[in-house]
Parts: sequence; structure tokens; C-alpha cells
Amino acid sequence: MPTDTRRITGPESSVSPYSFCKIQEPQPLFNSQDLRKDGRKCDQVRPIFLKTGVVSKAQGSAYLEQDGTKVICAVYGPRAVIKKEEFSMKGQLRCDFKYTTFSCKYRRQYQQDNEEKDYSVQLLEALEPAVLLHKFPKAQVNIYVTVLQNDGSALAASITCSSVALCDAGIEMYDLVTGCSTRLAGDRLLLDPCKHEEYSSKEHSEVNNGSVTVGLMPSLNQISAVTSSGEIQFEHLKKAINKCSEICVQLYPVCQQSLSKSVKENIKENT
Amino acid sequence: MVDVQLSDAEKTYIIHGAQDNLREDGRGCEDYRHLEIETSVVSTTSGSAKIRLANTEILVGVKVELGETSPENPDKGRIEFFVDCSANATPEFEGRGGEDLANEISNMLARAYDCPSCLDMRKLCVVEGKKCWIVYVDVLLLECGGSLFDASSIAVKAALYNTSIPRLTVTHDEGHTELELSDDPYDVQRLDVYNSPCIVTLSKIGHSHVVDASQKEEACCLARLMLAVTDKGCVTAMKKEGSGSFDVSSIEDMLETGKKVGQSLNKSLMEVLVSEDRNMKKKYMTGYLR
Repeated sequence: MPTDTRRITGPESSVSPYSFCKIQEPQPLFNSQDLRKDGRKCDQVRPIFLKTGVVSKAQGSAYLEQDGTKVICAVYGPRAVIKKEEFSMKGQLRCDFKYTTFSCKYRRQYQQDNEEKDYSVQLLEALEPAVLLHKFPKAQVNIYVTVLQNDGSALAASITCSSVALCDAGIEMYDLVTGCSTRLAGDRLLLDPCKHEEYSSKEHSEVNNGSVTVGLMPSLNQISAVTSSGEIQFEHLKKAINKCSEICVQLYPVCQQSLSKSVKENIKENT
Repeated sequence: MVDVQLSDAEKTYIIHGAQDNLREDGRGCEDYRHLEIETSVVSTTSGSAKIRLANTEILVGVKVELGETSPENPDKGRIEFFVDCSANATPEFEGRGGEDLANEISNMLARAYDCPSCLDMRKLCVVEGKKCWIVYVDVLLLECGGSLFDASSIAVKAALYNTSIPRLTVTHDEGHTELELSDDPYDVQRLDVYNSPCIVTLSKIGHSHVVDASQKEEACCLARLMLAVTDKGCVTAMKKEGSGSFDVSSIEDMLETGKKVGQSLNKSLMEVLVSEDRNMKKKYMTGYLR
């Protein structure tokens, strides 16, 4: 087999040392005073930092930080559709969700894996209902979301971040979309979970352990994205969706504030 | 999904019909179309099933192979889903055309089964930290007639129920581990799929929602909610699809319907599978198309 001499020949596959760690006994997610590991209450969301206009070349961009979760999003377009087959009288959105290779505990590959492809589609379907697609026929808008660091709730953060970026790009929209996720643990709801609080099928086998992510258009009161994993009973699922929607409404002023701030700054610069 | 051209009048007809609980083919909003299931259709697989839901035809083949355990889950086997949208179904699937849809279906299936109570992966471990069974589930779409997610999940459950894994005896000898395969072809291990989920897709048409939408109905619907429902009435995966959005209160109604339909679907599917399994020996095999 011909080998590439410019590359250092290493083992063909490598395994992160964390995989060989002894599996720790799952620790309780909250203590006797109902406080989580990072001192938050069960229904407390991490503080959000949101800033628009972080990528100067893009039509619109936004950066969102929620403690350890850092997401950057750039929006390009509307630009002409190049491929002839994809011609449509409606505008098209294209979403690309990517974790950077170093953003998680285990290293990720450059190529989009299944989870990232899945999130790209979910993100697209969360944003599509909010955008006035008929306003830019025969054109497409590209949305690139990169998770710089993942400490849980990456999809919810990406939804909020990319809708703000779309707005910053001046794409006409019916409403912003804000995202929120929650972790179900028995009859408790832990809002905006960190990485260690997120559901994984490896550790939790009881019923009603899972996670739910909701994307909401707050002023229209329409849910544009909803996704869950883990075995959950219907009553709990309803409760989780309602709670997430409540939080999404609370996130709305944060987005509005950062957008109005960037508009004011723009006006000041141009006058 | 696969496009059907509908005029505005046809769309209005379907939307109004759904509101009055009467659909274009005479069904109510919560009824499935006629469904035919057959197991053990391909003899080269460890388990297989074919499903025909009106015009949708799906063939699922399960193969089990011995492989290395993953370092993260040393005491568990694995299950992997592949969906193949064959160009037989529609010319749009030619080349890489069906890839997006295939990915969506396989991701949804993987998420629905990624739950310890759905399928016990510990039973698929042969030697802890070394060998395990890997279950490859291959879904082949032969004809598209709507409700692809529902039909594939039903076919997958049937094929997994039909799967027989050869029994292995493990002997430890002077530090070596030896695996011995039983000579008896009937000495097999079966998978417990009693609590495996079936996907129920609820399509929002106008102000009401319908299950098992036909292709025409899919063309009038902007948003769908997919629920993977288990026999016990739990959701193992949920997903919204399509370019529309839901009202908060309508999601609650859809969940209610999903639970009802999903549980009865699981119940009747298990009944059919058990009775077919019992009659298996009596069955006179005639060919693939029956």
C-alpha cells in the first residue's frame, strides 16, 4: 500500500484514555438542598452572553456563551443557487452544524458525524418556519454553526445563536427562535443541563431519564423544534416541553437587547 | 420526501376532510392503512422482515457478527442501523439522492433504540471487554408510499424479533479464551424486543393531525411530529420534521394521540409476530412475492 511520507505514521486508530477510566458510580444530580453541582437551582439557567457582528466578512453573525458552552454562528447570503437541480421559487436555507474537533471530552473527527448531521437537520427545521423564504426566491442562505466548546445544551444554544445571526444578517423573519433544553431525572427537571448532567444511555436505565430540547418562536407562541431522547412517560414529556417553552420566552429579551445594541452601535458608527 | 404534485383544490379537499375525521381513502384520522408483515423472507440473514403498508414496501435484513467491544461499553454489544433508499423506489434516489432521507431514518432509529430498556445490549456481550455481537440492521426501501419512518420502525422490530443469534460457549483454558459455536442450527438465542419502540408520525394537516399520512397527505402537511412509542407507553425519541411549526397546545393533543396509537400498534404487532412465529414450521414457503 502506498503511504504518505509527509505524514507521521501513527497507529491507525487511537482511543482516548478516558475510555479506560473506571466507570464511576453515577453521582446524584442534586444535593439535599436541591442544588446542582455548580450551585444552580434545578430551574435555574446559566447566564448568557450574546453578541452579534463577530465575523466581519459575514452578512450576519453571533456568538453565544453559556458558561462552558460556546457557540459561534455566521450567516452568508442570500446568494444565488449554483446547482441547477436545486432551483426553487422559494428561498432555501442551508444549515451546517459542526463541533470543533477539540470541543468535547473525546476528540471528534473533521468529517461531520451522524450526530452533527442530525443536528444540522434539526437546526434547519427549527429556523425554517421563522424565515420569510418567499422574500428571496432562487437564492439560498447559508448558516454555519460551530461549537467551540461543548458543556451541554449545544443544540439549544445553536438555535438561539443562529436565529440571532440570521436577524443580524437582515434576513426577514416572522420571529426569533430561542432554544432551551432540559434534563429529566425522575420527576425532576434540570433546566439547561451541563455536559455531565446530560442524558446518556450508558449510565441511566430507569424510566423518565432523558433530555428534551425545544425551539420556540416566543411572540407567535409556536414551537418550531422539539426533540427528545431517553425513555420518558408522556405526562413528563408534556411537563418538560411546557417548562422549556417558559424559559424560551424568558430568553427573548436577551436576544432583543443584543440585537438593538448592535443596531445602535451601527448607527453611531455610520453617522 | 418524495414529491407529489397537487392542485390547490385537491389540497383543500384533503385538509377539510382531515378536519371532519374522514380522509380521502375513507379512513379516520387515527387509522393506519392495511399492513402486511412477513418474517424470515431472506434465508441468508439472521433475521428478516418485509412490510407492506399500502404502497410502501420495506425489506429489513438483520445480520449478526462477532466483533470487538468498544472501550466505552466493555460489557455491551452494539446495534447499527443502515438505511438504503434504493433507486427502485423512485429515480430521485439514484446515486446519492436518497442519502439525506436515509440518514434521517437511520438516525431516528438509532435514537429510538438508544435506551437500555428497549433492547438489552448486555445480552449481546460474549466476553467482557473483548468480544460481543454486533447487530447490523439494514433497511431497504423498495417502494415509497408515505409513512416511511413508521413502516421502517415496524419492519425493524419484526426483523429483530425474528433474529436468531447462534449460541456460543466460552471456555477459559490456560489464559486463552475459546469460543465454540453450537452445531445445532436451532440452538439459538433470541432477542427480547417486547419493549422496542415503534415510530408514530403525526402529520399536521390544517387544524387537525393524522397518523400514517399517504403521499398526497404528506404534500399538504408542513410539519410532522415523530414519536418512538414503546409498549409501556413511553417515548424513547421525539422529533419534529418539516418546515412548519406547532402551537404549544396542539403538541399536547398530538402526544395524546401518539400514545394511544403507538400502544395499540405495538400490541397488535406483537400479537401478529408471536402467532407468525408459532405457525412458522407449518408455513409452506413459496417465493418472495406472495
